[in-house]
Amino acid sequence: MEEERYYHQWLQNMKNLTARYAQKLLQRFPEPRELLDAPENWLEEILPPAQFQELLERRREVRSVYGMQEEYERLMEKGIRFVSCHEETYPWRLLGIPDPPVGLYYRGGLPERDTLSVAVIGSRECSEYGVYIARELGAFLGRRGVDVVSGMARGIDGISQQAALESGGVSYGVLGSGVDVCYPAANRALYDSLIDRGGILSTYPPGTPAAGRNFPARNRIVSGLADALVVVEARVKSGTLITVDMALEQGREVYVVPGRVTDRLSDGCNRLLKQGAGVFLDPESFLEELEELAFLKKIKPEHSDEGKNAKEDFGRKYLPAAKEITAMEETKQEEIKQEGTKQKETKQEGTKKETKQERKKPERKKQEAPEPGGQNTKGNKEFLWSRSTPQDLEEELLPVWEKLDLTPKSLEEIGSALGGRYSAAELGVLLLRLVMTGRAKQISAGHFCRL
Amino acid sequence: MYSTILSGALLGVNACLVQVEVDAASGLPAMSMVGSLSGEVRESRERVWAAMKNMGLEIPPKHITVNLSPADLKKEGTAYDLPIAVGMLEALGYFPAGRARDILFLGELGLNGEIRQVRGVLPIVREAAKIGVREFIVPKENAGEGAVIPDVKVRGAATMGEVLGFLMADAAERGAVLPAQDTAGWTSADGAEGPGYDFAEVKGQEMAKRAAKIAAAGFHNLLMIGTPGAGKSMIAKRIPGILPPLTLEESLEVTSVYSVAGNLDGKSLLTKRPFQAPHHTISMPALMGGGAVPRPGVISLAHRGVLFLDELAEFPRVVLDGLRQPLEDRRIQIARVGGNLIYPSDFMLVCAMNPCPCGFYPDRGRCRCTEPQIRRYTGKISGPILDRMDLCTELQAVDISSLHRESGGETSAQIRGQVERARRMQEERFQGMEYRFNGDVRAADIDRFCPLEKEDRRFMEETYAKMGLSARSYHRVRKVARTIADLAGEERIRREHLLEAVLFRPAQEYWK
Repeated sequence: MEEERYYHQWLQNMKNLTARYAQKLLQRFPEPRELLDAPENWLEEILPPAQFQELLERRREVRSVYGMQEEYERLMEKGIRFVSCHEETYPWRLLGIPDPPVGLYYRGGLPERDTLSVAVIGSRECSEYGVYIARELGAFLGRRGVDVVSGMARGIDGISQQAALESGGVSYGVLGSGVDVCYPAANRALYDSLIDRGGILSTYPPGTPAAGRNFPARNRIVSGLADALVVVEARVKSGTLITVDMALEQGREVYVVPGRVTDRLSDGCNRLLKQGAGVFLDPESFLEELEELAFLKKIKPEHSDEGKNAKEDFGRKYLPAAKEITAMEETKQEEIKQEGTKQKETKQEGTKKETKQERKKPERKKQEAPEPGGQNTKGNKEFLWSRSTPQDLEEELLPVWEKLDLTPKSLEEIGSALGGRYSAAELGVLLLRLVMTGRAKQISAGHFCRL
Repeated sequence: MYSTILSGALLGVNACLVQVEVDAASGLPAMSMVGSLSGEVRESRERVWAAMKNMGLEIPPKHITVNLSPADLKKEGTAYDLPIAVGMLEALGYFPAGRARDILFLGELGLNGEIRQVRGVLPIVREAAKIGVREFIVPKENAGEGAVIPDVKVRGAATMGEVLGFLMADAAERGAVLPAQDTAGWTSADGAEGPGYDFAEVKGQEMAKRAAKIAAAGFHNLLMIGTPGAGKSMIAKRIPGILPPLTLEESLEVTSVYSVAGNLDGKSLLTKRPFQAPHHTISMPALMGGGAVPRPGVISLAHRGVLFLDELAEFPRVVLDGLRQPLEDRRIQIARVGGNLIYPSDFMLVCAMNPCPCGFYPDRGRCRCTEPQIRRYTGKISGPILDRMDLCTELQAVDISSLHRESGGETSAQIRGQVERARRMQEERFQGMEYRFNGDVRAADIDRFCPLEKEDRRFMEETYAKMGLSARSYHRVRKVARTIADLAGEERIRREHLLEAVLFRPAQEYWK
């Protein structure tokens, strides 16, 4: 088994060999070791010229100097593991995507099969709104024992992963560099805790520096590892939308957090919504829809083989892809959505929901931690966001707090919203008192937002 | 024959007297000059010679020696032309000996005998008046600034011929030949601002205006952050107008600096607070002062006024770091081979910058700068400079409709009234001390002048912990709170004063 891994690793390390051709090779030669002795004309048939030449060269290397075992062991010593697609522990969801990578390098652990997994992605340069949603969603998923998968980037990615870990959850970061390269360097702390409490994954050989061209392929793995994708904030032209395209190709559910139509940072999101993506309104209902899908998946008979044979139609069978809402599938999609809303309605009755939940997934250990800031969603389960007015706020501060928003507002804007009741100095003092109570945040010298 | 004439030399913005000695003796016809002269003083020989010839004066074939005493002081500038010429005329017997005694001469000569403007007349007149010199003959253009000094007669001359006529005349007729400059209206600085800029013209921007008022009241340095066109320069330009008017003493200091820099343009006494806004491409010597013939830099021209650095992030780091010493010492020391020059530089620093390269941060909808870009941009400003900014405020872009709608609020005169009141409180507080304003107070004296009640102290600790502020801004916040309390006319710093000071706390808190 170990030895077979060396060859997979060797294959994975080829620079020009895309997952697509690697999988083609594996179809022809299920044991990658056979590649060493395969007749050249067979290989030439499968591979385009450049890749063919590379393979030949690497083959020669193996015969002369290349020590696969040494390389593998050297990595093991550094705490870097490798898993090939022929192994049991290979992330099961990846087998469902077109052309899964031959193998993955990882530090820490690998995603488990029975745990729900959600990819939270979005803009690196995000607004306070995005930060807030990413943090709340990450923490929520972490508390509910759902894995959070993302790219460990600045902005939405990192924030949701950080929040998931902080709330006691598990998260996996997929890098566009080697697993031993922390990119961006500013996320070092996150990188370290991901190794402890989840894992760092990459298809690139250790030592590979981060490069822009690596990221689309990285994004493919992010969506491939998840049952569903939540887009928090995205501009129209962004890497996030590339990930969404890949997710749809892979048959993943795509949920989108709606934004204001005037907000450039939500343009991408809103466009996706128009195209028919799932609407993410609050974590609770989102998770319920997700569990519903997972439940549907569970009651189908187990697929016989986890290997390559099972990979066709894998995703499509269980998880309806939003992209393929053709005339035929539209009705099906509609049904699911209706089911979702129906559920929400029934849920409002509270106790009923609990029993339903218990019946569906009795083995699931749910950690019903109280919401942050002592604001439970009691009585208002549908929207986590629509928070009730804080009771403990001083009377003076309340009207000011009400004028605040997640989008940072300038002191002047807040002042005129209050009808010029306060002078700049008075209002500044009131706002700072709000900051002190933890209800607001000073973003810059003159901007405040709700917290 | 031997003669000696009074003149003066500049040392920074101060001056000292120089004796110009001329000896005309028999011997080979020649003219030699000694006394540690720089190039332009040496050239004075040619100018004086030609000027006298063109006036129709005959120079007899004598050996003429000129000495400028004290001989070890480096003489610079062109103001010695006139005293040298007068000395020669006396030595050669063109007017009765002794008539030029106790008169101080300054002026550059043209080849046709006209007298041209020079730099630094005011400080020289001021220094000489202290010693007891009562009469001065200076270029006509400089007569105004010299006449500012009380109890002296300053006569402005346009040509060498006028000066000779004056010296040849009897004491009774002298005044008619070269009348003394009329000093009426110049001896007091009334601080009349004239039709300048007014704060009432600034619509909206309440926070920035408030910050400007606090900064003016306590002599705090101010940083304004805002999108292009938000009105940063507009506010900065109006700050000199809300500062209290210059006192006569201050006005003399400012005029002296301008006189030394040659920037007076025939004006007599400067009564407006200076406002200097150098471009960010400014060189180090231009900002700090110096050069081959040393002159005060922009920071000294801003003495007792406002130094406004627009586009702060564009200034080279070395230039900004060079501001550290003058900000600390309130003067700049320029080391030269011949000794140190000291120019005053007691200015209020007002800076403006964009929040990010595109100018729209934190409006994430419009700002497309990445976080590293923003960090790089703000990181250009060195920490030590940020440390010296007591107040930081942000300006929003204003839309046109609000320009029509909103009223301007307080006028500059109203604000100045409040500022003056706050400054009077500070005067009382710092009586007999080196400090003048709250902004000057050093860390060691904070507890003495900005005392906090026990519970307020605890409150501040709590605030700092809760908001994650760094302790280094603590002293500045307290100084600003002191000024806010002064503006409110209260002796005790109250909680809302502290909170407001925290609101205006300096920027690096957000720049982590």
